[in-house]
Amino acid sequence: MSRAVEMTILSAENLQMNRRPVRGNTFVTVQSDASSETSATRVDSEGGSYPSWNEKVVMDVPLHARFITVEVRCKTSSSGSNSVGVARIPVSDFIGGYVPENQLHFLSYRLWDGKVRRNGVINISVRVKVVEHSCNANSSMPVTGVPVAANGSTGVVRGVPALWLNYQTNI
Amino acid sequence: MGNCFSEVAAGRAAIGGTAGDFRNPAGAPNDAVENFLRSRGHHGLFSQIELSFSASGLRDRDVLFKSNPMMVLYTRGKNGALQELRRTEVVPNSSSPTWITKHTLIYHFEVVQVLVFRVYDVDTQFHNVDVKMLELEEQQFLGEATCVLSQIITQPNQSLTIDLHTEDSIISTSTLAKNSGKLSVHAEECVSSKTSVEMAFRCSDLEYKDLFSRNDPFLLISKVAEGGAQIPICKTEVIRNDLNPIWKSVFVNIQQVGSKDSPLIIECYNFNSNGKHDLMGKVEKSLAELENIHNNGQGENLFLPSAGGQSHNNKVLKSQLFVDKFTESVQYTFLDYLVGGFELNFMVAVDFTASNGNPRLPDSLHYIDPSGRPNAYQKAIVEVGEVLQFYDSDKRFPTWGFGARPIDGPVSHCFNLNGSSHYCEVEGIQGIMMAYTSALHNVSLAGPTLFGPVISTAALIASQSVANGQRKYFVLLIITDGVVTDLQETKEAIVKASDLPLSILIVGVGGADFKEMEVLDADKGERLESSYGRVASRDIVQFVPFREVQSGEFSVVQALLAELPSQFLTYVRSRNIQPSL
Repeated sequence: MSRAVEMTILSAENLQMNRRPVRGNTFVTVQSDASSETSATRVDSEGGSYPSWNEKVVMDVPLHARFITVEVRCKTSSSGSNSVGVARIPVSDFIGGYVPENQLHFLSYRLWDGKVRRNGVINISVRVKVVEHSCNANSSMPVTGVPVAANGSTGVVRGVPALWLNYQTNI
Repeated sequence: MGNCFSEVAAGRAAIGGTAGDFRNPAGAPNDAVENFLRSRGHHGLFSQIELSFSASGLRDRDVLFKSNPMMVLYTRGKNGALQELRRTEVVPNSSSPTWITKHTLIYHFEVVQVLVFRVYDVDTQFHNVDVKMLELEEQQFLGEATCVLSQIITQPNQSLTIDLHTEDSIISTSTLAKNSGKLSVHAEECVSSKTSVEMAFRCSDLEYKDLFSRNDPFLLISKVAEGGAQIPICKTEVIRNDLNPIWKSVFVNIQQVGSKDSPLIIECYNFNSNGKHDLMGKVEKSLAELENIHNNGQGENLFLPSAGGQSHNNKVLKSQLFVDKFTESVQYTFLDYLVGGFELNFMVAVDFTASNGNPRLPDSLHYIDPSGRPNAYQKAIVEVGEVLQFYDSDKRFPTWGFGARPIDGPVSHCFNLNGSSHYCEVEGIQGIMMAYTSALHNVSLAGPTLFGPVISTAALIASQSVANGQRKYFVLLIITDGVVTDLQETKEAIVKASDLPLSILIVGVGGADFKEMEVLDADKGERLESSYGRVASRDIVQFVPFREVQSGEFSVVQALLAELPSQFLTYVRSRNIQPSL
């Protein structure tokens, strides 16, 4: 079981590499901690250290996922790419609380480089597509559990699907 | 060398009405005007309002003749003095005139703009006199009405009808005073400022300007001012080494141009890093003509002006300009959202920590002066409240206190000021003042100074409003005498709230050193960051220390409010929320 999350990678600010502003050719990869599926944006070649992508990424995020990892990478002159910075986005920042899930959230996060130094900020917007409970026609048992984060939580989703067995049979 | 490169890069970037500028949260129609107004002390939102006037049921001159009414518009300053703004024409022989004369004024969100209207009956013997020369004392006074500009613009149809009344000193009998008629004022925002045009240009077959180096073309769009001077409006980015360049869209505000039929000059230059760009060709077209070029899909030939300046000697080039995109869009203003059903909801939180001093002693910041002179807390509540109350239809304001022990309880960092355990709302500004004074008698001041609980409570109300699909934007006023103890918790609460329809105004009273509070106000430093790396997605906090001595007409609290419209607009525009017009 998973839910579709529509994430728009908007822009990043003040990106650096080796303490110098990034020259450009940056792109973003998105992955949740509970799935190996990775999405990537196009390469921005104009924005330099203030790139903007405005690109929508739709991904299936498993219900038990706790984080979505967003990584800014920079294309090298050879075909490879280097990591510029990583941000881990707690799923509880846009699921749970009092605001309905399908509300559009605008979120910004600090990026950290490989040596865990602060490196720029990434801006995204997120909308959770409303879950259709009976998406599996064979399963008559509805899946009830939805992660719930209490207000003022430390950013970790505390809930797990209430019917764990049910969840597993649905995979 | 590095410097040099960056300058060139800056020079190559598109300037003026580009996408970034189009999203300018202040929605300022014109930077120059904005700067001018700022230099004159007018901060914040710039919005021109045209007022039109009519009246009905005016008193007749006598049995045979109706009166010949003229209306005089005044504004009342903070000191109560009236300043005349405009006189209308005289409408002969009418008891329900509609005046043609309009008055345009600038709307300031953060100021209570009091308007006074006086209607006079002008005797026929004066009808050949210019209205500006008329001595008002010689005319028959028909009545007076007063209102606040924000009352007019928050009406659903932006029209307000008010009763005219006469002072007893002029008309002694009360029966006549009742019969003075009504005045209607209609407000309209000057529309042209809202419409902007997005155009995407490309050129084909540009001619080599310089055989030995590359040609890096860009477009410069200018308007022609009276007298023939060219005023640049915007330019595209520089495309490197391309004789068939395709540029990104540019945005032109119709008010910047004048109208859709005003001539524009579109020049194509070869970018030169020394600043002396070479003209590769130009066209002169109005927006309407550019729209035609777009609709036909046909290119327009560029020309090079002749040295002599005569237009028939212009050299027509084979290079062509195309308009790939031409879309007009209306950018909604703050007033559109107010008329379109949005409300601003005011919330107050008052600091009851012990550092304010014993409220019974005159040196306390909470001291209630028996002479009625308001203390700093009361002043701040009234100054912010009297501006915001007009935007809140039910005028019920959630009001909290923090940092004190309510009767028989432990220290609370968010308690209802009205003493209720169930509801936090009070009625009107008067209700806030009453709840505040009664709370002073019922709680004992304590500490420390925590903002987190109050901000979280306000954020909860805001998120519930979003969940219910309400069109509300919340403004939390926190008045405090000291530096917060829970700086990190406050930051976390603010970062979370930055995604909600909420702005926070913090007013610091007393003589404490508020330097640490400035970090909460993102204007003055970095964006706020929570402990796990989430960053505030927009600036929602304004902080000012409230000085006892206020300079002139423009108080610090008004400066505080001035940013609210742009914070509101950033919220609704980023979410593509439209006013329901």
